Amino acid sequence: MNDVFAADAEVGRDLAAVDWESTPVGSPEGWPQSLRTAVSILLSSRFSMWMAWGPELTFFCNDAYRRDTLGGKYPWALGRPAREVWAEIWNDIGPRIHNVLDTGHATWDEDLLLFLERSGYPEETYHTFSYSPLRDDDGALVGMLCVVSEETDRVIAERRMATLRDLGSDPSVIRTEQETLAFAGRQLERNRRDLPFTVTCLYDEDGQAQVRAVTGIPADHPDLPDLSGFAGGEARVVTLDGPGLPTGAWPDPPREAMVVPLLRQGDAPYGFLVAALNRYRPVDESYRGFIELAAGHVAAGIAGARSYQAQQRRAEELAELDRAKTTFFSNISHEFRTPLTLIMGPLDELRTRFTGGDPQIMDELEVIHRNGLRLGKLVNALLDFSRLEAGRMRARYEPVDLSATTAELASVFRSAVERAGLAFEVNCPPLPEPVLIDRGMWEKVVLNLLSNALKFTFDGSVRVAVHAEDGAAVVTIADTGVGIASEEMPRLFERFHRIDNARSRSNEGSGIGLALVKELVGLHHGTVDAESSPNKGTVFTVRLPFGSAHLPADAVVAPGAPAAIPSSAEPFLQEANRWLPGDDVPDTPAGTQVAGDAADVLVADDNADMRDYLIRLLRSAGHRVTAVGDGRQALDAIRAGAPDLVVSDVMMPGMTGLELVSALRSDTRTAGVPVLLLSARAGEEASIEGLEAGADDYLFKPFTAAELLARVRANVELARLRNHHARWRTALVDSLQEAFFVCDEDGSIVEINAAFTEMIGFGPEGLPYAPVHPWWPDPAADGEAYAEVAAAFEQLMHHQHGDYTIPVRHRDGHHLWVAASFNHVRDPDSGRRVIVGTFRDVTDEHYAIQRETALASLSLRLSEAENLGDAVAGALDELRQLWQATYVLAAVFDGATPPALSATDPNLSWADVPQDRLLALKDRPLLTPVTERTAGAGITLEHPRGTMVVWVELGQRRPFTEQDQTLLALLAGHLGQALSRVHQIDEQRETALALQRAILGPAQLPAGFAVRYEPATRPLKVGGDWYDTIPLPDGRIGIVVGDCVGHGLQAATVMGQLRSACRAVLLQDSSPARALAALDRFAALLPGASCATVFCGVLDPANGHLRYSAAGHPPPIVTHADGTTQLLDQGRSRPIAIRPEEQRQEATYDMPPRSTLLLYTDGLVERRRQPLTEGIDQAVAAVQLGRRTPIEDLATEVMERLAPAGGYDDDVALLLYRQPGPLELEFPAESSRLAPVRTALRGWLERCGIDPVTAQNVLVAAGEACANAIEHGHRDRDRAGGSIKLRAAATAEALHLIIADNGRWRVPRPGENPHRGRGIMLMRAFMGEVTITTGAAGTIIDMQTRIAS
Amino acid sequence: MTTALTLTTGQDQDGAPVLVAAGEIDMSNAERFTAALSEAITDRREPLVVDLTAVEYLDSAGLAALFHHADRIEVVTGPLLSPLLAVSGLADLTTVRTR
Repeated sequence: MNDVFAADAEVGRDLAAVDWESTPVGSPEGWPQSLRTAVSILLSSRFSMWMAWGPELTFFCNDAYRRDTLGGKYPWALGRPAREVWAEIWNDIGPRIHNVLDTGHATWDEDLLLFLERSGYPEETYHTFSYSPLRDDDGALVGMLCVVSEETDRVIAERRMATLRDLGSDPSVIRTEQETLAFAGRQLERNRRDLPFTVTCLYDEDGQAQVRAVTGIPADHPDLPDLSGFAGGEARVVTLDGPGLPTGAWPDPPREAMVVPLLRQGDAPYGFLVAALNRYRPVDESYRGFIELAAGHVAAGIAGARSYQAQQRRAEELAELDRAKTTFFSNISHEFRTPLTLIMGPLDELRTRFTGGDPQIMDELEVIHRNGLRLGKLVNALLDFSRLEAGRMRARYEPVDLSATTAELASVFRSAVERAGLAFEVNCPPLPEPVLIDRGMWEKVVLNLLSNALKFTFDGSVRVAVHAEDGAAVVTIADTGVGIASEEMPRLFERFHRIDNARSRSNEGSGIGLALVKELVGLHHGTVDAESSPNKGTVFTVRLPFGSAHLPADAVVAPGAPAAIPSSAEPFLQEANRWLPGDDVPDTPAGTQVAGDAADVLVADDNADMRDYLIRLLRSAGHRVTAVGDGRQALDAIRAGAPDLVVSDVMMPGMTGLELVSALRSDTRTAGVPVLLLSARAGEEASIEGLEAGADDYLFKPFTAAELLARVRANVELARLRNHHARWRTALVDSLQEAFFVCDEDGSIVEINAAFTEMIGFGPEGLPYAPVHPWWPDPAADGEAYAEVAAAFEQLMHHQHGDYTIPVRHRDGHHLWVAASFNHVRDPDSGRRVIVGTFRDVTDEHYAIQRETALASLSLRLSEAENLGDAVAGALDELRQLWQATYVLAAVFDGATPPALSATDPNLSWADVPQDRLLALKDRPLLTPVTERTAGAGITLEHPRGTMVVWVELGQRRPFTEQDQTLLALLAGHLGQALSRVHQIDEQRETALALQRAILGPAQLPAGFAVRYEPATRPLKVGGDWYDTIPLPDGRIGIVVGDCVGHGLQAATVMGQLRSACRAVLLQDSSPARALAALDRFAALLPGASCATVFCGVLDPANGHLRYSAAGHPPPIVTHADGTTQLLDQGRSRPIAIRPEEQRQEATYDMPPRSTLLLYTDGLVERRRQPLTEGIDQAVAAVQLGRRTPIEDLATEVMERLAPAGGYDDDVALLLYRQPGPLELEFPAESSRLAPVRTALRGWLERCGIDPVTAQNVLVAAGEACANAIEHGHRDRDRAGGSIKLRAAATAEALHLIIADNGRWRVPRPGENPHRGRGIMLMRAFMGEVTITTGAAGTIIDMQTRIAS
Repeated sequence: MTTALTLTTGQDQDGAPVLVAAGEIDMSNAERFTAALSEAITDRREPLVVDLTAVEYLDSAGLAALFHHADRIEVVTGPLLSPLLAVSGLADLTTVRTR
C-alpha cells in the first residue's frame, strides 16, 4: 500500500484502489507534499472529516466520515468530484466551498440542514462543520478540508422534546374538551417538520369517529384517508396517496401517516390521532415514540377535560347531600362535644383536688366521671349508627342474665333520675333462662331509652321492668312524661326525626337515639314498640326472643367466655377502657379496613400513652407504623426515608408539630410528605395556624379511631394522587435528552435527571450535591478551568437567567465541556427561589472551535516567519502556549549527530531531552501522534532537511486526550506544509540575493580599494548605480563608477548589463575613452540605458598613473598627503549614448604617493535646493579630513559625514583608493625569505615616497619582527606550515605594519640569546609605536610610525 | 639559499687587517659573517677594520657578531647604517667611522 494511505488500513486500502491516474489529482507518487500531508491528517483523525482537492475538488474522506455521513456512497465516492458525490446538497455546500477557495477564509456552520441521499432517500440531516482552505506547496488554494459532526439526532430530539414540552405546559387553564383540543392543535402545528399535518378524531356516543381537530390541513380535505373504521388499540402506519396533500414544512407532501389511538385508562380509546409523517426521516422507534407520546398528551388532556366535567356534575349532586350532612354534623358537634367538654374538664380538676379527701365525694366524682366517659361513648353511637346503616356492624351474642344486666345499667341512671325529682322504680326479677345479646348493643339500647324517658319526664316516675312472656324476655321502660302525639307515633323510630315543640328537659337531641335502638334490637331479632298518651307518659317495650335459633351460629359465643375480640379491635378496646366503664366491650371495626390502603405512617407524639394508642390503632388498620418522641427525631426519620404520611402531635418538646411541618416544607426533598396534625386545642384559629404552616389535615382531640383512620386513609390517597403527578413529572424530566438540574438558593444541586447522570456520571444517590460540586475541575491540576467554573457559578447564583460554557470532570475522570442555560424560578410548593438549568455536551463543538483557533494562530505565526528557523521556533512557541507545556522541542534528523535541536527553552541541550522517545518517534509513521500517558506527546513530520520529531513536554502529570492528539496531528500537518513552503521561499530569496550580488560588482577588490553601496529601493540590494574594479592582464586596474537613470529593479537590470559590457570592453581595450565609446554603442540598443553617466579609468598601481575619461559623470576627487586637493575634471564629455558617433576625450593623472582618490555617484553629493558644487565641496572636505584615516574606515566616515538627515534617498556608489595600495605578503617561516621580503618592502616604501633613512629604519624594524617570527616558526617544526604574514599600509602621514606568525612567542631571555632582545629594542627605537600581542594562535606585532610629509 | 653577502679580507694602506662586507647581513647569513670576523681577527695589537660601507642591511644577528668582538674591531660605515650602530649602542663600545 502506498505510504500516504498508511494511517488507516481500511479506508486507506480503498483509497489506494482508486484509479487516481484518471482523476485530475493524478497518481499518488506524484502528489505534492501538501496533499500527502492533508490525506495523512484526514486518515489519522478520529473526527469525521472529508476533503476536496484539485480543479475538480476530488473527494477524500476518513473512516469516521464514512460511518457517520457517507453511508451507502462508500467507497464509490472516493476519488470522484465532490460535486458528483454531494450532488443533492451542492446548492448548499458548493458556494461555501468556492468561497473558501476564493478567499482562503474558513467557514463555520452550525446545525445546517442538508438533505443527504446516503440511505437511498433524501434524508433530513443536520451538520455542524467547518471548511478550512488547503494550500499546495506553492501556497496556492487548491482544496478544502471539512471537519464535520452530525447533529441530526440532537436537533430532531430537541425539536420533538419542545413539542412534547409545549403539549404538557400549563394545562390548568383548560376547561373544556374543545379548548383542550385547540390548545393541543396549536402546539402540534408549531412542529410542521415532524408533523406536516394531523387529524384528531374522537368517537361520539354511537362509536362513530368524528374529526374534532386538525392541524396543517383543512378538515374536509378530499385526500384524507378514510379512517371511520379505525377502532383498534394499536398504532399503525398507513400509506397516503394524494399529490394535493399539504406538505407541512417540506417541499413534498408526506407519503405515510401514523394512526395512534387516544388511550383511555381501563376503557376503550377516546379516539385516535392521525399524524402525517416527515418523508425525510425514517419511521423509527424514536419517531413512533414521539407520536405516541404526543397522542398520550392529547389523550391526557381529553381525560382531564372529561373528568373535570364529570366532577362538576357530581359536585352539584353532592352539594345537596352535603347540606343535610352539614346540618347533622353541626348538631353533633354542638350536642355532644360541648357538654362532654364541660363535664370532663371541671371533673378532672375536682378529682385532682379531692384526691385523698372525702371518700363519698370521691365516689360520686367517679360516678360523674364514669358517666362522662359513657357520654363520650355515646358520641360513638352516631358512628355506630352509620355503620349499622351501611350494614357493616357485626354483633357478638352471648347468653347473659338480662335482668341483672339491665338493672345494672339502670342503676347508672338512678342518681340522675332521682336528682330530677322522679321516682325510679327498677323491677328486674330473674328470668327463667339467659338471653343471647351483644352487651355493647344492649347497653346502648337501655341507656338510650332511659335517657329518653328522663328527658321528657318532669314529674312522676321512670320505671324499668323485666319479665318473660311468650318465649321472649320483655323489658319495659315507662315514664310519666309529656307523651307523644298520636300523629307523631308512626315516625317515632325514624332517624333524625325529632318531635317539634315537645316539652323536654333540654332542646338537645340528635334524633338518632330511637332509630339506633330500633336497629340494635332488630339485630337481635327482637322488637321495640312504644305506647304513649300525651301528658300521660310513654312506655317502650323491647322483646328479645330466648334461645339462639334466630341468630347466626357463628356470631354466638360461649357463656361466660371472655369476649373474643380480634386483635385488630384492640385499639378500640383500649379506647373504650379509657373512656368507658371497664365492662364495656367495644365494637370491632376491623372489617372496614382494606389491605390495599396500607401505608407507611410515621407517628410523632411525646405522650407515650397516646403514641402507643396511635400505633395500635394504625397497625390494626394494616398500616406499617414507626413512632418517634419529638419533632426533631421525626425530621431525621423522614429525611432518611419519606413515609406515606406523618401523624404528629402539635405540642411537643424540642420541635413542635408546627415547626416540624415548616421544616419539611422548606426542604424540596420532603416538601411533598403529607402531614396530619393532632391537637388538643380545638378552634378555628388553631386549625388555620396548622394549615398555614403547611399541614395537610388537622384533627382535634378527642377524636375517634374511625375518624383518625378515615383521615389517614384520605390523606394517603391524596398524597398518592399527588405523587402520581410527581412521578409523571420525574418521568418527563428523565426523558429530556439534555441534562437537567435543580439547584437551591445555597447552590446545592437537589435534583437531576437521567441524562445528567449519563453525561457527568453523578447519580441521584449522591443528592444533594453541595458546592463545590464534585464535577468541578481539580483546582490543583487545572486552576484556570477551576476559576472559569467558579465564575460561572457566581453567574448562576446571581443572575436571573443566562448561559455559559464550562469544562467539567466526569465521575470517571474524563473531561468534557458543557453549555449550560439556567433560569431562576419560584417553587410553587415551598415559595422558595430555585434555579433550574440544563447542560448540553458541547465537547465536540468546543474542540472544533479550539482547533480552528489554534490553526489560525499557528498560521499567523508561520506567515510571519522569514526562514525555517523562525517557522519552527514560532510553531513550537504556539504549541507551548496552547498546551501550557513545560517546553516543546523539535529535533531534525538531518544526518548530523546529535540531530539539530530547537526548543522553547533555549537552555535545553540534547543531553537534557528524552532521547529514547525522540529516537523511537523518528521511525513512526508521519503525523501519527504518540502520547505517553501523562508525560507528554510527540509527533513526526517532514522537515526540508530530514524527519522532524516534535515533543510536547507536559510536565505536571496532565493527560493528553484524544482531542489533543487530533489537534496535534492537525497542527503538525499544517506546520509540515508551512516548512516546505518557507523552505522554498528561503531558497528563492537566497537565489535572488546571489543574483543581485552578481549584478552589483566584484566580490573581491584589489588591495587598496574600499567601496560602499546604498540602494535607494528596499529590500533590493542593488539599484541603478554601480562601481567596478577590473584587474587587467598587464597588472593595471580598470576602475568604473556609473549611474543609470532612475533606481529600483528597472534601473538595476540596465545597470547590470552596462556594468558587464563596460567590463568586457575594458578587458578588450584598456583605453577609457574607447571603452566609453563602445559603451555608447551598446547602450544605444539597450532601453533605459541612455543618459547613464560613467567614469572610467585605468590605474597603474605601481606608479599611480591614471588614464581616464568621464561620460557626464561628476569629477573624482584626489587629496594629496599634504592636504591639497584636486578634481579630476579633464576628459569630460556627454553622458552615455548621447551622440554616440562623436569621439570621447581622455586625460591622465599621476597620483602622488599617499594621495587618496574618491569616485562617487551623484547620490552622494546631490541635494535638493543646493548646487552640486556645494555637495562636491563637502565631499572634498570629507576626504581631506580623512586622509590620515585607513581607507576602509574612511569609506564609512564619508558615507556618514555626507548622509542627509533622513538617509540617502537616491542610489549611492562610492569607491576609494589610496596610492599605493597596501603591501600584503605571506611567506614560510624561513630565514632565506627575509631578503626577498625586504626587497618587496623596500619597493613599496619607495612608492610611498618615504625618504631613505626612514625607509631603512622601517626595514630594520620589520626585519627584526620577521626574524622573531621565523624563530617561533622554527621552534615549532612539528606544527604544520609555520608561515608569516606581513601587511604594510600607508595613510597621508603614517605607516602601519603588522607582522603575524602562528608560532609561540618566546619570552626574551637576553642571557641565552642576547641579540634577540636587541631586536625588540631596535623595533621600539625605529617605530613610533610597537604592540606585541601573544596568543595561542601566534604572535602579532603591530608597528606604526609617522612620516614627515 | 642565503642572502647575498660578499666578504673580503685584506689590509689597508697602513697594513692593518681589513674585512670588507658587501650586501645584506641578516639571520640567514650572520653565521658566515661571524666566522669571517673571527678568522680575520689576529693577535696583533691593531684592531680589525670592519668596512660596512657597502652593506645595505644589517640586523640584530649581524650586530651580535660585532658586539662579540667590539674591543678588537673598528667599524667603518656609510650613512645608511650609522643610525643603527648608534641606536644599538655599538658606537659606544667601539670606534665607528662614518664616511
